[in-house]
Amino acid sequence: MSNETTQYKEILFKGIWRENPVAYQVLGICSALAVTVKMSTAIVMSLALTLVTAFSSMIISSMRNKIPSNIRIIAELAVIASMVIVTDEILQAFFYDISKQLSIFVGLIITNCIVLGRAEAFALANNPLDSFVDGIANGLGYSLVLIAVAFIRELLGAGEFLGFPVIPAFIYDAGYQNMGLMLLAPGAFFIIGLLVWLKNSISGSKK
Amino acid sequence: MDELFSLFINSVFIGNILLAYFLGMCSFIAVSKKIQTASGLGFAVIFVLAITTPLNWLIYHGLLAPGALSWMGLPDIDLSFLKYITFIAVIAALVQAVEMIIDKFSPVLYASLGVFLPLIAVNCAILGTSLFMVERNYTFIESIIFGTGSGTGWMLAIVSMAAIRKKLAYADVPKSLDGFGMTMIVAGLMAMTFMMFSGITL
Amino acid sequence: MSDNNFDKNSKKNVIQFALMLSVICSLLITGAASGLKNLQQENIKLDKKANILKAANLINKKPSKTEILRLYNEHIKEGMVNQKGEPAKIEADDTLHLYYYHTNNVIDGYILPINTKGLWGKIRGYLAFENDGQTVSGFSVFSHSETPGLGGEIENAWFRKNFKGKKILNSQDKFVSVGIAKGKVKNLPKNLQDHYVDGISGATLTGKYLSEGIKATLTRYEPLSISFRQKEMKTLEK
Repeated sequence: MSNETTQYKEILFKGIWRENPVAYQVLGICSALAVTVKMSTAIVMSLALTLVTAFSSMIISSMRNKIPSNIRIIAELAVIASMVIVTDEILQAFFYDISKQLSIFVGLIITNCIVLGRAEAFALANNPLDSFVDGIANGLGYSLVLIAVAFIRELLGAGEFLGFPVIPAFIYDAGYQNMGLMLLAPGAFFIIGLLVWLKNSISGSKK
Repeated sequence: MDELFSLFINSVFIGNILLAYFLGMCSFIAVSKKIQTASGLGFAVIFVLAITTPLNWLIYHGLLAPGALSWMGLPDIDLSFLKYITFIAVIAALVQAVEMIIDKFSPVLYASLGVFLPLIAVNCAILGTSLFMVERNYTFIESIIFGTGSGTGWMLAIVSMAAIRKKLAYADVPKSLDGFGMTMIVAGLMAMTFMMFSGITL
Repeated sequence: MSDNNFDKNSKKNVIQFALMLSVICSLLITGAASGLKNLQQENIKLDKKANILKAANLINKKPSKTEILRLYNEHIKEGMVNQKGEPAKIEADDTLHLYYYHTNNVIDGYILPINTKGLWGKIRGYLAFENDGQTVSGFSVFSHSETPGLGGEIENAWFRKNFKGKKILNSQDKFVSVGIAKGKVKNLPKNLQDHYVDGISGATLTGKYLSEGIKATLTRYEPLSISFRQKEMKTLEK
């Protein structure tokens, strides 16, 4: 039993920190930056991606001995696309406001390199339960980066945290203004570049 | 005619699919090391986009949109939730075809593009362009222009990035910043430059 | 774990596998889509109602679903007018739709649907007026495809609240509509300031399209606005 827990801990640690999908493996950036203008959209996006990766990895892993090699990628895409479509339908039904803001980016989870990447790199060679954990781990690693970027962008760009203004009025009165650049594309790029620099300085980069 | 030209220019510069909407980044980072590979991939992307966007338009408006099946006598059916899976099937099929064409006519290009060619199928920019086309309710002609424009914008970004990275090789970048971090910062500066185009009226 | 004689690459297995996968995926997707469809439609209707209420300044942030429905049922009534601005009973091709904002059947104002072209896709929203037929009381955006951070700012409170109090008639009682300025309103000549709101920097085109769309819509509804100005519209008819 303790062997399994250490194994899971290892999978989790790798996925969340040491081999963080965004910072280390350089995967999954695409949709990441567009939804980080606000923390609420980033959190929902992270949740959606984590669940899709975990479940699709688990399903693909359980089929791994039966999938014919020549339709492997298509089969994986079919499973992933189905998970994403179901997720999108659920979001539109229960979280309508957020789904409006996420617009096409939920659908783009299908092409998110993390989901397909983990299916190919892990799910095909490991059992379903391990694959599920690995999916959660990488999803959490992605969420970590996403939420960190969103936190900074929302704070600096709009002076808010989860939609609540947090910068006291006296600071605005003293001349401080929201950094509008943070809400736009360049801001996202800079923040993520600097965060990855920070992360790699702490834990060493891929060479 | 004016409108179409304006749509094209907007898609290439102001609403650049990569620098403004962040789509297509994965291959962007990986392939932008050599200018030749970058432009080869860029052309492939333009080609795929110019064909898949109008093709997906036909499929969406002919089969999937609410009320689309009225020509078959089924006006109440709404199959729009199938768009993700249909679009990606079309894209994957076309990319497979492009792969075979490139292999036949330019084995050198095929070899240098390597694994990135099939990766076009999962390039968010391709699926994203089709999804934007649906969301923005373009006409058929507009979808062709928008597809070509997005592709051109993407190629412009990737080739510029390759050129910049070539020069960066001579700069003294700190080890932890080198690679991904630096590319992001350069991309940010490029995004700022492209935003400048929004002040231009045609 | 290894099945004897099971070749996953055999033609038979490829076809069997593909079929099974297609069937299971289709069932899953279609099940989710049809099962949740009603909830989704309800959400869209609710969002529309919330936006109408927002334009009329009847709600602020994050109202609950019951509150939206209650306020809507109490204060909003859908209406139709013909091209001449007279209330219409039957819907024709050229009938104009609008919403009356009333308290106990006394009309406080009216809300017009705005549906214009934007930079990328259509901008849909509501422009609300007081019952004097010339003062704007609010503006809300229900859907748009503008660039987030640039044109997308039209849905944010800072942009929308500037519409309150603007006038669509100038000091000579001529119809001039209300538009989005290029830059800040305070830099415009004094006689124009009542007819413009602050522009969004970096989104001049969005502002231009929205201004044009609003003007076209308001022109169509001018006969109705005139009846309001002449105090002809006081109560809802039964």
